[in-house]
Amino acid sequence: MDAQQIAQVTEMMYALRNPAGIPTYPIIFIGLGVLTFALHILFVQLMLGTSAIAIFGAFNNNSYWRRLGSAMLEISKVSVSVAIVVGVAPLLFVQVIYDPHWYTSNVLSAFWVIAFIVILILAYWAMYYFYFVNSKNKDKTVQPKARWSILLSIALMLVVGFIMHSLTSAMLHPEQWKEWFVPNGVADYSGSKLHAYNLWRFAFFISMAIPVTGAMLVTYRRFKSVREDADHAYLNWASEVGKKWIKVGSVISAVLYVAWMMTLPETAGNFATSFWGIAGGVAVIAFALWAQIRLQGEAKLCSYMALPMALVIGLVVAISREMLRYGIINDTFHYDFMDYKIVMDWYSTGLFFLTFAIVGGSVLSYFLTIAWKTGQTVGVYTPSPLVNKMGTIAIWIVALWLVQFFVVGFYIWAK
Amino acid sequence: MDLISLYPTWYEPMVGSGWVVALIATFHVLASHTSVGAALLFAYLSHKAYREDREDLLDFIKKYGLFLLVFTYVAGSITGPGIWYSTTVASPNGIGALIHSFVWKWATEWVFFVIEVVGVYMIVYLVGRVDKKTHMKISVIFGMASLATMVIIVGILSFMMLPGKEAWFEEGGYLNGFYGTNTFIQLGMRMAFMFTMTAVVGGIVVAGIKDPAFKKEMARKLGWLGIISTLIGAAMFQWYLTSVPSQALLVMENRLPDYFVPSIMAVLAGTLAYFIITMLRPQVLVQGFAGAMTVIILVAGLWPEETARESMRKPYVAGQYVYSNQVIARDVPGMDIQSQLPTIEKVGILKAHPFTPEHLREVNDGNMIQTGEFIAMTYCSNCHSPSETGIRPLHRYFPDNITQERMEKYVKGVLTTGNIAYMPKMPMIDSEVKALSAYLLLNNQGGSEAVKVAIQEEVATRDRALAEKQASDKVAALSLPQEVK
Repeated sequence: MDAQQIAQVTEMMYALRNPAGIPTYPIIFIGLGVLTFALHILFVQLMLGTSAIAIFGAFNNNSYWRRLGSAMLEISKVSVSVAIVVGVAPLLFVQVIYDPHWYTSNVLSAFWVIAFIVILILAYWAMYYFYFVNSKNKDKTVQPKARWSILLSIALMLVVGFIMHSLTSAMLHPEQWKEWFVPNGVADYSGSKLHAYNLWRFAFFISMAIPVTGAMLVTYRRFKSVREDADHAYLNWASEVGKKWIKVGSVISAVLYVAWMMTLPETAGNFATSFWGIAGGVAVIAFALWAQIRLQGEAKLCSYMALPMALVIGLVVAISREMLRYGIINDTFHYDFMDYKIVMDWYSTGLFFLTFAIVGGSVLSYFLTIAWKTGQTVGVYTPSPLVNKMGTIAIWIVALWLVQFFVVGFYIWAK
Repeated sequence: MDLISLYPTWYEPMVGSGWVVALIATFHVLASHTSVGAALLFAYLSHKAYREDREDLLDFIKKYGLFLLVFTYVAGSITGPGIWYSTTVASPNGIGALIHSFVWKWATEWVFFVIEVVGVYMIVYLVGRVDKKTHMKISVIFGMASLATMVIIVGILSFMMLPGKEAWFEEGGYLNGFYGTNTFIQLGMRMAFMFTMTAVVGGIVVAGIKDPAFKKEMARKLGWLGIISTLIGAAMFQWYLTSVPSQALLVMENRLPDYFVPSIMAVLAGTLAYFIITMLRPQVLVQGFAGAMTVIILVAGLWPEETARESMRKPYVAGQYVYSNQVIARDVPGMDIQSQLPTIEKVGILKAHPFTPEHLREVNDGNMIQTGEFIAMTYCSNCHSPSETGIRPLHRYFPDNITQERMEKYVKGVLTTGNIAYMPKMPMIDSEVKALSAYLLLNNQGGSEAVKVAIQEEVATRDRALAEKQASDKVAALSLPQEVK
C-alpha cells in the first residue's frame, strides 16, 4: 500500500468516529477493556475446558472421569453465565474507543452477528438440557444420557467463538473494508460473509482452555479436600490430571502462540519480535514452569493460586493482543485512539468507579464468602456474626445507591 | 474530503433489519422485565419465609428461579448484548450515540449485572444449604440489584426518545441527558408492567404446585400482583403519552397500524380476566394455559408496544439528533456535535459517504441503478425495505404507473426538503435525485429481480469497457517501442 492509500484509510477511520466523543480519558477505557477481556476469556476457556471434561467423562467408563465430568459440568454452566456477563464489559469498551473498527467489522458480517446470538442461546440450552437430563441421578458414575447434547453445546460454543474471532480480526484490516463491502465492484449489503481469520490465533485462545482448566482441577481438589466427606483418592487424582494439563497445555499453547506470531499480517510490522510480542508467549510457557516448581505435594496455598496465576497470564496475553491492535491501527494506519475527543463528565465517571469499588466490592465479598463457605460445609451453613454483618452492610450500600439515584434524579428533574 | 460518519448498510430482505432488532428487543424485554419483577417478588417471599419459617415459599423460589435461570437469564443475558449486536449492524450511529454518552451508565449497570448473575445462582442453589435469614439477605440484595439494572437502562431508553432535559442540547452533560419527565414516567410504567409479566410467567410455576392450598395462596398472590400492576401500568401508559414529543404523538396517530390500540386494549383486558379467573379457580391454572398467556403477552402486547416506541421516535433514532438513516441531523453545541446535513447538501450523499465505491462517487448513465440502489440502501432501507416483504416495503408507496419525471419531482420536492414530518430530510444533488428515482422506478415496476438484472448489465458494460481500454492501452504500449525504433 502506498502513502496515499494509507492516508485515505486513515481519513475514513477518523470520519467514522462518533461525534459525541467520550466522557473521560481514552486510556481508561483501554485499561478496563484489557482487564475485563482477560476475565472474560478466562471464563470462556474455563467453560470450554470443563465442558471437554464433561464430554470425556460421558464417553469414558472410568468412574473417576465420570464423577469429574459431572462436577465440571456444574462449573461449566456457571462459567458460561459469567463469561457472558463479564464479556459485556469489553464489548462496551471496544465500542467506545474503536467504534469505527468494531461497527464496520460487524456490519460487514451482520448475518453472523445475528447468528451469534441465536447460536449462543442454543449452545447454552443444549448444555442445560444435558444437565437436567442427568441431574436427578445421584449416582454420578453411571453413563449419562443425551450425550449428544453436550457435544452439540461445545461445537456451537466453538462456532460462536470463531464468529467473535473473525469480527475481531476484521477490525485489523481497514485497508480491506471497502473491498469486502464492494467485492468485484458490486456492493454486498447482505453481511453474509466472515471476512478475516487466523486459525493459529483462534487455536491459541482455545488451547488455553487446557492449562486454565488444569488450574481449575488443582483448585477443585484443594477446595473440596477440607470437607468432612471428601474422597481424597479421587481428589488427588483430579489434581494430578490438573497439573499435567497445566504443563502440557501451556506448552501446546506456547507453540500455537508462536505460530500466531509467525503468521501476523504485514501491517503488524515487527510486532512478533517486540517486547509485547515475546511477553505473551513467555507468560504462557511460564505457567508450566510455575506449576512444575510450585505445585508439588500438598501445595496448600499454591493450589489456590493456580487460577489467579492463569488470570495473570491471561492478562499479559490480553495486553499483547491490545498492543498488536494498537500497533496495526496506529503505527500502520495512523489512527490513534488517544486523540479521541473528550467531553469530560466527572459525575458519571466517578459514579461508575464508586459503584464498582463499593457496591461491587461489598456485595461480591459477601456473596462469594457465602458461596465459598457453603461449598465447604456438609449440611446447612449458618454464617458467623461477622459474615452476617457483611450481608447487612451490603444491603444498606445497595439501598443507598438506589436512594442516591432518585435523589440526584429528582433534583435534576426539578432544577 | 467531506466525509461523514456513515457505515456500510446491512440489508435483510425477508423482514428488514429494523424488525430483526425489534424481534430481539421484544424477547429481551419479556426476559429482563420478568427477571427484575421476579427478583423483587423473591425478596418479598424469602423475607416472608424467614419471618414465618416456611419451606414451601423457598421451594417456590427455587422452582421459579430455576425456570428463570434457564429461560430468562440464559436468553435474557444473551439477548441483552444481543440488542447491542443487532443495533450495531442495523443502526451503528444510533447505538454509537447512546454508547458514547452513557458508557459509564452501562458500565455501572454491568456491576449490577454481575451481582445479579452470581445472585440468581445463589438464591436457586442455596435453598436448603444456607439458613433462611441468609437466604433472605441474598434475595434482598438480588432484588435491589435487579431493580438497579432497570432504573439505569430506562434512562438510556428515554434518551432514545428525547434527552432528559432540553438543556442537554446547549449544555451537554450526562445528567441533563439522562434524567427527565419521560425517564421517571417510563420507569413507573415499566415497573408496573414488569410485575404483570412476573405474575403471568410465574403462573407456569404455580401451575406445577401439587398442594391445592399452597397453589391457591400463590395464585392469589400473583393474581393481585398482576391485577394491580396491570391497572397501574395502563394508567402510567396514558401519562407516558403526555411526556413524549408532539411529533411522536403525530406518528402514533398517523403511522401506527390500525390494530395497535385494539390489540393493546385486548391484551390488557385479557390479562385482567386471566388473573381474575386464576384467582377464583386456581385449578384451571395449568402450564399450557399460563404458557399460552405468556406467548399472548409477548406477541400481542410487547411486540406492538416495542414497535410503536420504535416508530414514535421517527425521524430520529436517538436523542432527537441522530436520524433513523444514521445521519446527524442537528447541531448539539453542548456536545460539540455538528449537523451533517450541510456537508451532504454541499457534496451529495455519494461523496460524503466513506464507503461509496470509487466508481459510484459520480452518477452517470453506466451506474445509474447501482448509485440509486446505494442511496436507497443508505437513506431508506432502515425504515423501508426495498424488497417485496419486510418492513414498510418501498414499492407500496408509489402507484404502478408512476413515471421517472414524477418520481424525480417527489424525491426532490419531498425527500430532499424533509417535507414529511416523520421522515428524515435527505439532501441529494440533482444527479443523485435522478439516480434514486431511476432505482425506485425500476424497483416499483420490476421488483428486486429487475434491479439485480439491471445492475448485472451495468457491471458487464463497465467490465467490457475496462477490458477494451486495457486492450487498447496494451496495443499502445506495444506500438510505442516500434515508433521509437
